[in-house]
Amino acid sequence: MKKNIPERSDATGRSGNPSPPGVDWTDVILAAIILAVCGFLFYVTTRFEEASEQMSQNIPPEWFPQIILIFIMILTLAIPFEQYFKGKKVAGKEREVSVKPISIVTALLLCFIIFLMPWLGIFVTMILICLLLPLLWGERRLRVLLPFAIIFPGAVTLLFTKVLGVYFETGIWSKLF
Amino acid sequence: MDAAIQGFALILDPMNIFLIFIAVLIGVCVGALPGLSSPMAIALLLPFSLSMEPVSAISMMAALYCAGTFGGSITAILINAPGAPPAVATAFDGYPMAKRGEAGRALGLAAVSSVTGGIFSLFIFLFLAPVLAEVALKFRPQEYFALAVFALSMLASISGTSSIRNLIAGAVGVLIGTVGIHITTGVERFTFNSPELTEGINFIPVLIGLFAIGELLNQSQTLDKTFERITSVVVKLPSLKEFLRMKWTIIRSSVLGTFIGILPAEGATVAALMGYNEAKRFAKNKEAFGQGAPEGIVGPEAANNAATGGAMVPTLALGIPGSATTALILAALIMHGFRPGPFLVRETPHIVYAIFGAMIIANFMFLIVGLAGAKVFSRITLIPRKILWPSVFVFSMVGSYAFASSLFDVWTMLVAGIVGFLMKRHGFGPAPLVMGLILGKLVEENLSRAMIIYDNNWLRFFESPIVDGFLVLTLMSLFWPLISKIWKRN
Repeated sequence: MKKNIPERSDATGRSGNPSPPGVDWTDVILAAIILAVCGFLFYVTTRFEEASEQMSQNIPPEWFPQIILIFIMILTLAIPFEQYFKGKKVAGKEREVSVKPISIVTALLLCFIIFLMPWLGIFVTMILICLLLPLLWGERRLRVLLPFAIIFPGAVTLLFTKVLGVYFETGIWSKLF
Repeated sequence: MDAAIQGFALILDPMNIFLIFIAVLIGVCVGALPGLSSPMAIALLLPFSLSMEPVSAISMMAALYCAGTFGGSITAILINAPGAPPAVATAFDGYPMAKRGEAGRALGLAAVSSVTGGIFSLFIFLFLAPVLAEVALKFRPQEYFALAVFALSMLASISGTSSIRNLIAGAVGVLIGTVGIHITTGVERFTFNSPELTEGINFIPVLIGLFAIGELLNQSQTLDKTFERITSVVVKLPSLKEFLRMKWTIIRSSVLGTFIGILPAEGATVAALMGYNEAKRFAKNKEAFGQGAPEGIVGPEAANNAATGGAMVPTLALGIPGSATTALILAALIMHGFRPGPFLVRETPHIVYAIFGAMIIANFMFLIVGLAGAKVFSRITLIPRKILWPSVFVFSMVGSYAFASSLFDVWTMLVAGIVGFLMKRHGFGPAPLVMGLILGKLVEENLSRAMIIYDNNWLRFFESPIVDGFLVLTLMSLFWPLISKIWKRN
């Protein structure tokens, strides 16, 4: 994710310019996104089914969400100017470093595995997570990885199915065995 | 008296003692491991707890809360990596003391002051919770609404650098609470024709996602970070003379921590930082702070553990969480069929005594466990993160699924995690969102009831002096950053 802040950053992501920060353009974009989402949700509230007066007792269902959305939108308008008035950075220090590709790939991998979960079943999904995530993160010791990817999901399955009585979708596992 | 006997009898059941011991072990480990936190551990424990006896489940969570707060100090002192945010201030003097070869003494001071602060606050909790509940029983919907709004306004001063972002995150939490069928009219709100959303968004996957998956993605950013190995540590308890020499620091921090804990939304981190500041302010040798001053360890440690008992007061007596962790305990109480608030104290007082008992036992247990196993616990930072975090994900996934055997909940967890990760990067913490999520229903229900009672006349809210009082407090907490700035300038 490309940063768009007035201060320059070095390769480590640390801020190198000591001058007081002005309007943070990342915050401007952030505020615009929040306003757009709130605007859309406000529109959705106008499409709520109408309740009879007797049921709603003058408190229609859209009333409370609309108050909250207006509250959020008013506060959001202040976000771009927050840093300017405070004279210091207000966003999380995590933002000083760009999102690393490994985090994006991790999120995508997790989404992909969960997408396959109905077909794979829970046990196989757990094995895949325990195998693929450490591999993605650079773990190459197979003598550590393989026992972990089998024993840990097995223990979790036993705990949930035998002790806590939760039914696990078997998925592909039942077709294999 | 009967309730107290019944509550203590429940908690002294060998099975419950064993579960508290397990919770203390988990709590100290979780507290000691940078990245893992008590809220995350409690969020992961929630699905497991549903098949347990309610008292055992809540006791485990309360014990984990106490132990997790202490656990953070182990790694803060030994490797200057606070395992949990409340231990940040402990590292200021704990690590310099450890570096000059007095790690055992620093751990001993932290353990003893933590237990003292924790037990002090628990007795305040035991005394104050019934009194507060008695007052709250007289509250009508309008007063409850004003109280909940005050609690939400406190998010403005919760830890973090931006009051505005904290308030927005809280409001987003309230908004998420409105998803599903509107209780008064039966109209579907924000369901987008999805049958899974008609009953609203489940707390558990959202909480797990925000605390566990958000942190997992955060950790993936720092995979190359390594922790130093620990040299052998022999924990040394402070002598009675040394303990008595610091008695005023401990008492002051315990009182301060309890008070901050009682304030809605404020938690152990704020208490610890204030405890440290006050210890420094009253110290004769201020220059020693930052160089390994003992008061710089006992101040924050007594305060952060005192905040745990303090935070239980509004949680149980009013149904208003005192911190992010107690918000999760509140969610657990609701899921186990209790009504947190004055009715819990009036109708099931034995539960309150049981929680009190569990926290007292947990305090003594973590003293023993912490002292005996500090060396072992400090070594858990050596667990490879490339193995630890996939395990956390597996627990998160299965925990989210187990709640309602629903794949939709697993997606909810994942989406909440990704959103939480992005939110944190931009200064919106997960704690305010959780508080908003928990308090949202309370705010809406009471506002609607009050508006019906007042025939939609807003001005009639001001007829109640309690509402007026809470509104003044709300305004004060909202504008506190501005007020304190003007005060400091003058």
